[in-house]
Amino acid sequence: MEKHYRNKLSIFIFAFPGLLLFTIFTVYPILPQILISFQKHDGFNSSGWVGFDNYIKVLRSASFWRANGNTLIIVLISLLVALPLSLLLALAIDVQTPKTRNFFKFSSVFPAVLSVTVISQMWVAMYEPQWGLINSFLRSIGLEGWAHQWLTDKSTVVICITIAFLWQYIGLNALLFYTGIKSIPKQYYEAAMIDGANFFKASFFITIPLLTDVIKYVLILSVLGSMSLFAHVRVMTSGGPGDSSRTVIYQMYYTAFSTSEFGVGSAIAVLFIIECLFVTVLINKFTAKERIEF
Amino acid sequence: MKMKKQLSMFFTVALAMSMIGCGGQKAETNTKQAAPTETSKTETPKPASEEKVKLRLMSLSTDENQIKILENYIKKNLAAELPNVEIEFEPGGGGEDYSNKLKTYNASGDLPDVWYSEAGFATAVISAGNQLDYTQYITDDSFIKNFAIPEALKFSDGKIYALSAGADTYFTPRIFYHKDIFEQNGVAIPKTFDEFMAACKTLKEKGIVPMSIMGKGGWAPQLYMVQTMIQSEDPQVALDLLQNKTDFTNPVVLKAVKKIETMAKEGVFPEGVANLDYGPSLELFTSKKTAMFGGFSWETANLSADPNIGMFMWPTSNTQYATEDVTQFWGSPLNGYAVNSNSKNVEMAVKLAEYCVSQEALFYAEQGSKLNLQTNVKVGEQSELMKENIRLYENTKLKIPTIFLNAMDAKTGTEFGTIGGNLLTGAYTAEQYVEDFNSIWQENTWFKK
Amino acid sequence: MRHKIGDYLIKIILFILGCSFLFPLFWMLNLSFKSKSEVYNNPFGLPQEWVFTNYGEALKTFDFLKYLNNSFIYTLSTALITIFLGSMLAYCVSRMEWRFADYAIVYLTMGLIIPAQVVVIPLYMIVNTFGLKGSRMSLILPYASFALSSCVLMLNAFFRGLPKELEEAASIDGCNVYQCFFQIILPIVKPALATQFVLIFMNTWNEFFLAFILAGKENLRPLPVGLLSFFTSIGVSHWGLIGAAMIMTSIPTVIVYCFGNKQIENSLTAGAVLK
Repeated sequence: MEKHYRNKLSIFIFAFPGLLLFTIFTVYPILPQILISFQKHDGFNSSGWVGFDNYIKVLRSASFWRANGNTLIIVLISLLVALPLSLLLALAIDVQTPKTRNFFKFSSVFPAVLSVTVISQMWVAMYEPQWGLINSFLRSIGLEGWAHQWLTDKSTVVICITIAFLWQYIGLNALLFYTGIKSIPKQYYEAAMIDGANFFKASFFITIPLLTDVIKYVLILSVLGSMSLFAHVRVMTSGGPGDSSRTVIYQMYYTAFSTSEFGVGSAIAVLFIIECLFVTVLINKFTAKERIEF
Repeated sequence: MKMKKQLSMFFTVALAMSMIGCGGQKAETNTKQAAPTETSKTETPKPASEEKVKLRLMSLSTDENQIKILENYIKKNLAAELPNVEIEFEPGGGGEDYSNKLKTYNASGDLPDVWYSEAGFATAVISAGNQLDYTQYITDDSFIKNFAIPEALKFSDGKIYALSAGADTYFTPRIFYHKDIFEQNGVAIPKTFDEFMAACKTLKEKGIVPMSIMGKGGWAPQLYMVQTMIQSEDPQVALDLLQNKTDFTNPVVLKAVKKIETMAKEGVFPEGVANLDYGPSLELFTSKKTAMFGGFSWETANLSADPNIGMFMWPTSNTQYATEDVTQFWGSPLNGYAVNSNSKNVEMAVKLAEYCVSQEALFYAEQGSKLNLQTNVKVGEQSELMKENIRLYENTKLKIPTIFLNAMDAKTGTEFGTIGGNLLTGAYTAEQYVEDFNSIWQENTWFKK
Repeated sequence: MRHKIGDYLIKIILFILGCSFLFPLFWMLNLSFKSKSEVYNNPFGLPQEWVFTNYGEALKTFDFLKYLNNSFIYTLSTALITIFLGSMLAYCVSRMEWRFADYAIVYLTMGLIIPAQVVVIPLYMIVNTFGLKGSRMSLILPYASFALSSCVLMLNAFFRGLPKELEEAASIDGCNVYQCFFQIILPIVKPALATQFVLIFMNTWNEFFLAFILAGKENLRPLPVGLLSFFTSIGVSHWGLIGAAMIMTSIPTVIVYCFGNKQIENSLTAGAVLK
């Protein structure tokens, strides 16, 4: 048995097809992209190598930093608010009666199943200043002063898009956590209960430590997911008003496609990939713990 | 046991799927050599007379007029007019989506045989050598003789890259309004910008939103509003911008942009206008939620069903020129049907483009529009609104080309919209606009050609 | 006592949240029965006058079945290829003694990091080079490639949770590594595979950007792209029609989700395999 697990051929057979597919369609395309980032390129022709000019241009542009700021806000909210919330939801549905649990489980993933276009379009209608649900509600309970032009005010637009995005996926994350919780052997709890632990103690000392892998997975997925937020921005505001709700990805898309500066856009893409790598390493550092074996 | 069975099923299917994958690839390379498939048809140099040539056609699928032209004219009359052509239609979306899609096709050498070209991205396709110069073709088959002013087709380099019926040079900015709303509230058609603001104020006090426009992506400021305001101050500055003789730091520009800032701040537009799309902005007007609609005369035919809708021109502040004296006109020799110079069947593609532009002409002619491409359509009874539109157009003394189409490269044009969109939030000053946009304008490459 | 009140509170919060998640369905259904003008006067309330023609009208201009068929082919093939290749790779990385296992994980993480939009032009050229243009594989292979990372990472977590004794017992019974993987390990992680299937299904079903560029041709188009051209072709103003189209395109996912939901649940309860 052991020898099979060290056998080069079986390792090759197991690993190669997947890695090959991945290399061709995901990793390799970055190479041309990096090359383009050092050229003046309009998407059709290259007009020569320009060294680091594109990078300097990007780093000097206010829009790029604004986009980074927006992305940071989105990531922070998803990290500090949405993730703990979905973990709490998962813990909460675990101890509910099957009826409540099934209802919640069914409905929670629903927004994630529907098309991004549909969800974003719905939130546009919610935020609409004149007849939108949110303003209508605020007016009906006498809080007229709070009614607001949510998506055209630079100070609220990013938060509003983030809420729509996080709302769409919070249920899915909760379900993923719940799947993880379900797979924890019941004896652990039974033993803890005998020792006199209550629900909260059990959650903090048993469930969460045993969920490390799932938490890490959801963490990486949602941090990187919120970093590369695009579709919601595209449908809800197209990055507006002005450039105030652009994410880094949107800034890249805008630069490369809308203004035809593919070189500069590629430079943003490369910088963004570096940012993402950095974040991933950071997450790995923070979550690297000794694995708990059952 | 049951689980095992299911699982093995699962993987048999998975395996089969991946094999289909490889098989599919192989099959495709084979067909290139032998089998009489669709692809090989287009590759055959001389199609037999009864054999159909298949051509790819891409057009805007967001513009109401374009959709009507495609559905009610091009598709409908194809069998009668071009029996040996089969068209594969590709709706390209609109705006940014459309131009991005074409750019991608252009970069990867996969442009359709015929597409609807727009000035915003055409220069890039042309510089890549992918857009056919029609001159020789339409001279040889004398299609060019159908145009009243063939010169209007020529780009600044003297070549013809797009065939257009020419309706768009007759498209000018217009304000549509509800006559009854104006009457009920004692508002008259404004002759000066101050009167316009006063009218808006009156309407606003009566609880009516004065005017809807498309603000998303800064569409209205980009396409006409900034230019119209400049012209309302001093038309010469607009002409100078077109010649690159002045820039956006010109004090007239500041005054003009200040007007847009004021309109936004005074509540001339509905709340959230900076994120308002075209469809909804028009819907707000037709459902009488707003008294006016700021758009182009291309909506005339669509709006003329309602006899209560009238139109007037953007009022000016200039004492030298009255309101109806100056206008901006849409259009560029790069707007229209273009042919891929690498098409496998250029001759047929040109024929298709000629057919498409003739159908476009039919559509506009039947609406009563004026055109460059002559048709033998007998125009029936024109609507009042259309008559008014033509009267206004013919009375205009000075017609100025659109700056956005005729003086800006792709980047400048896009930023012109984005930065202009800021003005509609009411939280962005004209001074800021001049500072932000002028630095973009400095890098404009349009005049370097 | 305190316990009881807290319980109720949690229950109520969960119920309200659950309802908010179902709200889009209500919204779409409600829209689909409204006339063009009513949407603006009465956007969220029930229709004052019920319009049933929206569905018929939407169907007339919208080739629902063709797009639906395409979407199913893309989604199922992507999910199957990804799970097949991904589970093998994840197994190799987590259980086999491979020097580069950790590097492979880091390498695969790139797939989570790189958004597909970033590389669409190079991707388009690669698809052309492989002669995949005009076939459905031109979309399926990039999809599978981008879905592979999260699939492998998640399965990796599950494989690691499995006790080593499983394989040891199998090898005593004379299984080789392939038999062991396909006959023993995979059935055990079936719940995780099912979850993966649903996740990939959902992502692929809704993917928009790549489909828009790589499958521009009419007969290859999946639903979301078809839906967009429908939206835009009616000028994003007739919300009744949009509602009807949204409902029709959402129904298949909702059905699949309802089944998938049960499937995941069943496999989880049956899969006390993690001991």
